[in-house]
Amino acid sequence: MADYKFDTLSLHAGQSPDGRFGSRAVPIHQTTSYVFQDTEQAAALFNMEIGGHIYSRLTNPTVAVLEQRLAALDGGVAAVATASGMSALFVTVLALCSAGDHIVASSQMYGANINLFQHTMSRYGIETTFVSPRDPEAIRAAIRPNTKMVFGEVIGNPGMDIMDLPAVAAVTKEANVPLVVDATFNTPWMIKPIEHGANIVIHSLTKWMGGHGVALGGAVIDGGNFDWGATPGKFPTMTDAHFGYQGVNLWEEFGPMAFATRVRTEGMMNAGPCMAPQNAFYILQGIETLPLRMERHMSNTAKMLEFLTNHEQVSWVKHPALPEHPDHETALRLMPKGQGSIISMGVKGGRAAASAFIESVGLASHLANVGDAKTLVIHPGSTTHSHITAEAMEAAGLTDDLVRISVGLEDFDDIAADFSQALKAAGRVVPKVAAE
Amino acid sequence: MKIDVQGHSTFASTGGRAFDPKGDVILFIHGSGQNHLGFMLQHRFLANRGWQAITPDFPGHGKSEGDPIATIEEMAAWLASFMDAAGIEKAHIAGHSQGALVALEMAAKFSDKVRSATFIASALGIPVNDYLLGLAKDREPKAIKAMMDWGHGPTGHVHDHTMPGASHMHYGSQLMASNVPGALFTDLNACNEYTTGAETAAAITCPTLCILSGQDKMTPIKAGRKLHAALGGKLVEIPHAGHMSITEQPWDVTKPLRGFLESQRVEA
Ligand SMILES: Cc1ncc(COP(=O)(O)O)c(C=O)c1O
Repeated sequence: MADYKFDTLSLHAGQSPDGRFGSRAVPIHQTTSYVFQDTEQAAALFNMEIGGHIYSRLTNPTVAVLEQRLAALDGGVAAVATASGMSALFVTVLALCSAGDHIVASSQMYGANINLFQHTMSRYGIETTFVSPRDPEAIRAAIRPNTKMVFGEVIGNPGMDIMDLPAVAAVTKEANVPLVVDATFNTPWMIKPIEHGANIVIHSLTKWMGGHGVALGGAVIDGGNFDWGATPGKFPTMTDAHFGYQGVNLWEEFGPMAFATRVRTEGMMNAGPCMAPQNAFYILQGIETLPLRMERHMSNTAKMLEFLTNHEQVSWVKHPALPEHPDHETALRLMPKGQGSIISMGVKGGRAAASAFIESVGLASHLANVGDAKTLVIHPGSTTHSHITAEAMEAAGLTDDLVRISVGLEDFDDIAADFSQALKAAGRVVPKVAAE
Repeated sequence: MKIDVQGHSTFASTGGRAFDPKGDVILFIHGSGQNHLGFMLQHRFLANRGWQAITPDFPGHGKSEGDPIATIEEMAAWLASFMDAAGIEKAHIAGHSQGALVALEMAAKFSDKVRSATFIASALGIPVNDYLLGLAKDREPKAIKAMMDWGHGPTGHVHDHTMPGASHMHYGSQLMASNVPGALFTDLNACNEYTTGAETAAAITCPTLCILSGQDKMTPIKAGRKLHAALGGKLVEIPHAGHMSITEQPWDVTKPLRGFLESQRVEA
């Protein structure tokens, strides 16, 4: 029996058809808790001596199918699903870092990712140094003895800067620091970061993985490929006695899934950002068609790039598939099947023209999300990234004229027609701006 | 815990509990390219149920130092030294796959140290085909992948784990990759060269239990039944498990093993 391939795993991984009723679809286990067979089974479950479910803050059978499917698709040893992408990052920091620890993070990221480190974790004594994800040497230089994770987005939001995973992984491996990546923009269909040396993968499942825009969700995937014991004492949450479970040493008893077990037994247990079973069901429905959708996202993106680069109302277009993108070669090397479906463009006429474009689209939706099946547009500088500092904004290339496009799955002719009329409307404000 | 065995630091899991060598000891013996983690759920459950569960990593495996051992007979001798070093006079032993070949040797040649022997997913011999041996020698990651494919039955292949959220195939791969390079080849070669299973089994007098897997592609159930026929004793078959029954259907292994151990306790 050969190992199933990606498209097959997207449909089947994590689930054996239910033995009692034979339900083919994943049943929604809308329950908070599970009847124990006897007191011994209850005690064994509470002490992680047997597999099974206790309480849905920790695990749930529907959510477990999703988690196992994600582990299968990304090449992880185990996954933990969370209420959102943000809580996935939060429980990861919680599992690895304590007051006095240090993080090296990318300067080119989604606003809330930056803010969590800069403004929230800093209040709990965890300091972060921000560096360019494109500069492995800068990452090396920023790592300190108390650095507990290096974090970045594989594809940065919204600049589409690409992290050269093998190069960064070589640095983190040498320094014995886990490389944690946000893989929201790539999905395992484009690249599986664990195969390129990442140790922990975080997803916002709200985006392409779900694809339908109906449910929030996140996940932490444990690559199982980090040696938590290599530097004695460096990762006490993994190698010292756990506060629960009879003081178990997770690294000794659970080995490659020590980290996922810590996330489950601390982040989910004590903070509790669990995914609702109904949301897990929705996201599973999305993942079933992930390979098909991603192909269409990529082909529509290619058409969109051609359309925009030839449009007179567009002053610049940024996407890794374009030769002038600074990470073009890295993107093609790491993601040959496609380089993502987010495009940034500059609308001639600056902020006013960008606003006019956004207000004039009809088929495309103006909203704060990416990776939906439908085409989306937004002005990040005044919305998704507006809470970061002016310097960070400049470093992220968030200019006034920038519009972020998340290319959807519509017939491209219809998107092109919509964009044509909206760009025309943007063009009408240019003379006005020039006159002012 | 870590103890010195033949001059090398040796790790043994005790299921997260303090270990008393004078208690009722159940000693698990891991298979080719594996380490203590394969028995994670069995040793955790028994360690918390009044048994003194212990699972050492063979040299060069898991967290134990030293070079992998070349023959099944030498592995048994090493295990006897391990028991001495840990202060264990006598133990119930349970081996999986190659570990069950070691258990055969232990039960026959170190019978004074063995109370009972359990053989999981094994046979009188485990011949390894040249293709897998070649892969293990020259392309270990490919050999690990092949063993994950052949070693798992339907539940493993759809990544449907009893530990919610985990993947058997990827966990197993990382577990195997954490041993020293070359450990897998040395182990598989040791299995392949072991040909005295039938004579050894005939010499065993302690109580025995065989736990075989219906979907086992590495040690087919037919070969497992021959082992049982040679030993007599108890037999349990798990129809839907593959070779890695200990992780694929952990409770289906733990339950009969526990019953067997408890029955020994009563008889003693
Ligand atoms: C790259 C990236 N990571 C994480 C998140 C946060 O995910 P969620 O909205 O599911 O919390 C987002 C989105 O908003 C994102 O774009």
